[in-house]
Amino acid sequence: MTQKRRIPRLLQLALIVIGVYFSFVLVFDVALHQLIPKSLLTMYMLFVVAGVMMVFTFTEEGAQELVGPIKALVEDPSKKMVRNIVFVIVPLLAGYYTYTKMVPSFEAPMELRTIHPAPPGKFKAFGKSFNLTTLENPYRKFQKEDPAKFAELVKAGGNVYIQNCQYCHGDKLDGRGPYASGLNPTPLNFQDVGTIAQLQESFLFWRIATGGPGLPAEAAPWISSMPVWQNFLTEDEIWKVILFLYDYTGRSPRSWANE
Amino acid sequence: MSSVNKIALLAFCTALFMAGSAAAKPGTAAKGKEIYDKRCTWCHGAEGDGGGAAKDRLNPPPRDFTSGNYKIRSSDFADPTPNDDDVFRMIRDGMPGTAMPGWSDLLAEQDMWDLVAYVKSFAKYEKPPAKQVEYGTQIASSAESIEKGKKLFEDGDRCVECHGKTGKGSASKRLKGDAGERTWPRNLTKPWTFRGSNDPKDIYTRISTGIAGTEMPSFADPKSKKKLTDEERWHVANYVASLAKTDKKVNAENTVIKADMVEGELPNTPEDERWEKTTPTTFYTVPQIIGGERYFTPSNDTITVRAMYNNKMVAMLLEWDDRTKSIPGDDNAEKLADAPIAEDGVAVQLPVVIPHEMKKPYFGMGDAANPVNIWHWKSGTKDAAETINLLSSKGFKEIEKRDAAGVGLKAKAIYSDGTWKVIMTRPLTTSAADKDIQFVEGKFIPVAFAAWDGSNNGEKGSKHTMTTWYWLLLKPATGSKPLITALAIAGLFLGGLLWWARSATKKPAA
Repeated sequence: MTQKRRIPRLLQLALIVIGVYFSFVLVFDVALHQLIPKSLLTMYMLFVVAGVMMVFTFTEEGAQELVGPIKALVEDPSKKMVRNIVFVIVPLLAGYYTYTKMVPSFEAPMELRTIHPAPPGKFKAFGKSFNLTTLENPYRKFQKEDPAKFAELVKAGGNVYIQNCQYCHGDKLDGRGPYASGLNPTPLNFQDVGTIAQLQESFLFWRIATGGPGLPAEAAPWISSMPVWQNFLTEDEIWKVILFLYDYTGRSPRSWANE
Repeated sequence: MSSVNKIALLAFCTALFMAGSAAAKPGTAAKGKEIYDKRCTWCHGAEGDGGGAAKDRLNPPPRDFTSGNYKIRSSDFADPTPNDDDVFRMIRDGMPGTAMPGWSDLLAEQDMWDLVAYVKSFAKYEKPPAKQVEYGTQIASSAESIEKGKKLFEDGDRCVECHGKTGKGSASKRLKGDAGERTWPRNLTKPWTFRGSNDPKDIYTRISTGIAGTEMPSFADPKSKKKLTDEERWHVANYVASLAKTDKKVNAENTVIKADMVEGELPNTPEDERWEKTTPTTFYTVPQIIGGERYFTPSNDTITVRAMYNNKMVAMLLEWDDRTKSIPGDDNAEKLADAPIAEDGVAVQLPVVIPHEMKKPYFGMGDAANPVNIWHWKSGTKDAAETINLLSSKGFKEIEKRDAAGVGLKAKAIYSDGTWKVIMTRPLTTSAADKDIQFVEGKFIPVAFAAWDGSNNGEKGSKHTMTTWYWLLLKPATGSKPLITALAIAGLFLGGLLWWARSATKKPAA
């Protein structure tokens, strides 16, 4: 055979698997800043290993070559030294892995959370019933009709915000107010495209008026620290503060008209 | 010119260039005003006088730029003019421990320079300061320097007068700002609350300039009886930087108080040495704004908790820094407090039923379906001893006061030099399982805390600080099971490998 010297098949296999692993980490964690969940990565890697094994053992020859070094390690008398080392290390690793899995970690239980629970059709606040499908911000129309008046309403909403909401949601509406780090879960970041820009104003009104205790059962665990604002603010103030949230972040509410 | 001189000249030119580049971005006050009117008026007010809508609900209050007082500046003590860099830094990085955030993620660098120009115009600062803080040669921190700094800190009550012997700022006198507002000495053991960072160089700067508008004087002022030389100020800066108590810093990852199992009796005082061996867990406390009279200007900011248990009892040690021991009726306490004075207090909240799934009682004193137990300790008055109260609660409006002694709930507290330590103990189980939590080993038990500083705006009732739910775990002894299993697995692997090797080497013979 005029085969050129090349990397042993077993090492090739290991290199490919390690390469794929680090590519995942590099692309998601480093480049995209989207930490890839460990469980998901484990599953992907399982498929990768299975796939690579299939390719490598596709021909009888290939399979032989792959397991060759392993067989040699066990059978070849000249490799006695390496064999002894491997025979000590492998059981130790297995024992260590078992031990770390068995020792209880006492980490806090995971708490999943629904950020935007499906709203009810109707809800009660301020002693009356609101229909979420038809509810609209009574001040939104001034944005086009009377910009000067609208600016005043936004300013009034800003004052409500700074006196009540900034403690948690922050001066910059980024969910990082002075008390944000004392709350679990942490307050929402309105600058994020995934929050108020995805919602209708009526949804915000419902969440603000009824707060954490007003969340539906499927939003459990029931741990939102959002106060029940109907106890402290008027309907009017809530609608104004909603105007402010969109104005300051430069986002628009979703509405039936725009869809 | 020798090479050393050349390097010195190069360094000098670089320094000039760096200094120049900061000044080379002069902001435009008119542009700054536009940004200010959109972003800053809410707290600092349209007139720059700190009179924004939020002013009464912030502690510390927003800065009044018209006063011309810049607390965090690096110009000479005698010149109140801040450097542009000083103001820029405050805008860019914000001020820890206050509501002022850093703006670098929302504003472009030039925007922030424009703001500097506009903000300075409120006090009509037009020229840069004539003189800067003199740094001499920085002395790196060392055990020796820290020791010298400690001596200077204590000498003639220099710093101890306000900051206290341990640096926690425990009050011995009333302090006030130029506008007559109550101010408190910084707790030097919590450097993450320093408004202008805890880098020794920044601490040196504060010691040298003093804090404008407050009673913190300059220690570089030759007229001061407490004056320090450059070198001495570096020692004090190094000492202050060394005071950090990292136990009291919140680690967001650590949300579980792990109670260690102990043999024999549990500690019955906060001073028991065994507490030193337990793991502290620190939580932020935030003011109560969800019910009743809301509260916006707290003084407490964290609480540190340790726990132990044995086969009968559980004990928790609650520790938090409080500059005042608030005992109504006590002359000294009344003198330091802002009237009306109330008792200091702390409370632990636990669910009556440990939840099986994730749903916990409402964190604000429980709800109708999910009652909570509250263990509420109060510091006592001049005529009455400290007390521990047991409450069963189904929300703010349905609170039942019960007999703490009846279920064996006890508390004992010690106040020392700016810190409260309160120990609470209770039997693991009581006779009323429908009313009291029954502690179980190995389960994650939701737990929350509240604290009252009776000398700060008379905190009492619903005016207090609090946490949301965290966890208490009575950590079961691990036992030998993991070790035995691990050894068995290792043995199996070894056996398998040996068998494989043996059968493989036999093959040729067969």
